[in-house]
Amino acid sequence: MSVLLEARGLEKKFGRVTALDHVSMALRRHEILAIVGESGSGKSTLLNVLAGRLSADAGAVLYDGGDGLAPLAALGEAGLRKLQRARWGFIQQDPRAALRLDVSAGGNIGERLMAGGAQHYGAIRETAAKWLDAVEIDPARLDDLPKYFSGGMLQRLQIAATLVTGPEMVFMDEPTGGLDVSVQARILDLIRGLVRRLGVAVVIVTHDIGVARLLADRLIVMRHGRIVESGLTDQVLDDPHHEYTQLLVSSVLPA
Amino acid sequence: MQGYNFAYLDEQTKRMIRRAILKAVAIPGHQIPFASREMPLPYGWGTGGIQVTAAVIGANDVLKVIDQGADDTTNAVSIRGFFARTAGVRTTTKTEEASLIQTRHRIPEQPLREDQILIYQVPMPEPLYKLEPGKAKARRRHALAEYGEMHVKLYEDITRFGRVAVAYDHPVMVNERYLMSPSPIPAFDNPKMHRMAALQLFGAGREKRIYAVPPYTNVRSLDFEDHPFHPGRADQKCALCGDEKSYLDEIVIDDQGGRMFACSDTDYCQGRRG
Repeated sequence: MSVLLEARGLEKKFGRVTALDHVSMALRRHEILAIVGESGSGKSTLLNVLAGRLSADAGAVLYDGGDGLAPLAALGEAGLRKLQRARWGFIQQDPRAALRLDVSAGGNIGERLMAGGAQHYGAIRETAAKWLDAVEIDPARLDDLPKYFSGGMLQRLQIAATLVTGPEMVFMDEPTGGLDVSVQARILDLIRGLVRRLGVAVVIVTHDIGVARLLADRLIVMRHGRIVESGLTDQVLDDPHHEYTQLLVSSVLPA
Repeated sequence: MQGYNFAYLDEQTKRMIRRAILKAVAIPGHQIPFASREMPLPYGWGTGGIQVTAAVIGANDVLKVIDQGADDTTNAVSIRGFFARTAGVRTTTKTEEASLIQTRHRIPEQPLREDQILIYQVPMPEPLYKLEPGKAKARRRHALAEYGEMHVKLYEDITRFGRVAVAYDHPVMVNERYLMSPSPIPAFDNPKMHRMAALQLFGAGREKRIYAVPPYTNVRSLDFEDHPFHPGRADQKCALCGDEKSYLDEIVIDDQGGRMFACSDTDYCQGRRG
């Protein structure tokens, strides 16, 4: 499968702290790639740089929007934001930061459609109801405000509001962090089902090896801003080569 | 009047404001910053409009000032008196006689001509203010023409109230490029802005912004395809002149719950009564 997004020699420093140290990687179409590592390993920084939300000190991110890989920098701000509004998605750990809590669930889902120029109220509403159903929220709650939703429902709503434009690539930053275990499992199930069905490419950042095992095709292990190991998920987790990966895998509590 | 320059402001200030106005006319709907001056009236009373008027008024101009459509309210009377004293210009209450019309919250019922200028007093020039409180971010959205979210607000209104609930200051798209606040005029007046023959200037004193709509420019009120823009109007006729098309004020006339509807544009109403 062809490469959709590629990073070449990314460097990023925050003061004296090196967050990214010569990171190169690639994401293929329809692939789910997990970035794992402990807190402060640079995984969220990498995600933000890949998604064009943060600029690197050196190196380049390249994206294939249909006519070959081209650097994101060449798109300009307007072009990048257009991508981010429709063909890309970003799911944050805290849905409260991403959603408008004083706007109804339907309005939240419709926001990306309207930002893309949709101007038919009935059609927007119908699509929003369909997506509520797809993320297993009762469509009767279309006009309810998200501030009355539970944490798990908010995360589902964020997923619906992101996938509604049919993006080809979605970045996820700990999408199940902060949720209790049973809710986590159902959200993971939902994400797995939806992205497989829609053929979305996903970069997911997690510190939870279990999440990576469940969702990801491939895995990148980061430490101190460097990629220490990468490969097929099962391969890396069943036969970790790098000592840090071995530590990560062995520190998971047996089920 | 002794001790004051013509039309109160000094010539350098007027030149600065005129430069802002020229830029504003060149980029319809785009907000131009200007060094707003202290004026001898409080913010919110039309400090922006009065500065624009002072910058464009000439000795031969005839000035009309309206406040909510009326020529005889405190604000309108004071500003008219101000220019009569500081510029010695002729003032009028008749729309067709005026060459400059400074207005707060209304557009006259009578269609304006090419040789007239309409100057709006604007409290909040930023149409994205409620969606995006960060001004730098709002400006970035204007630069990139990212206005889709404005529809989120309209979506919410229709969802909650069955229709767009903003009765005034309904956002407009100017020349299919810039989203603009029409100032708090009733939605009823929005269609009058579209391809108006007169030059429309907008001054926001506290917010230090000037913007403009040149003559014959497209001005489109935001709406949905299946919920078209609806210029609201009380379903009554004027108790004084009997008009059924003009914009009406609802006036409480006693403490028994009695009320009447009358034209908000006093000059138009008087003209009809003869």
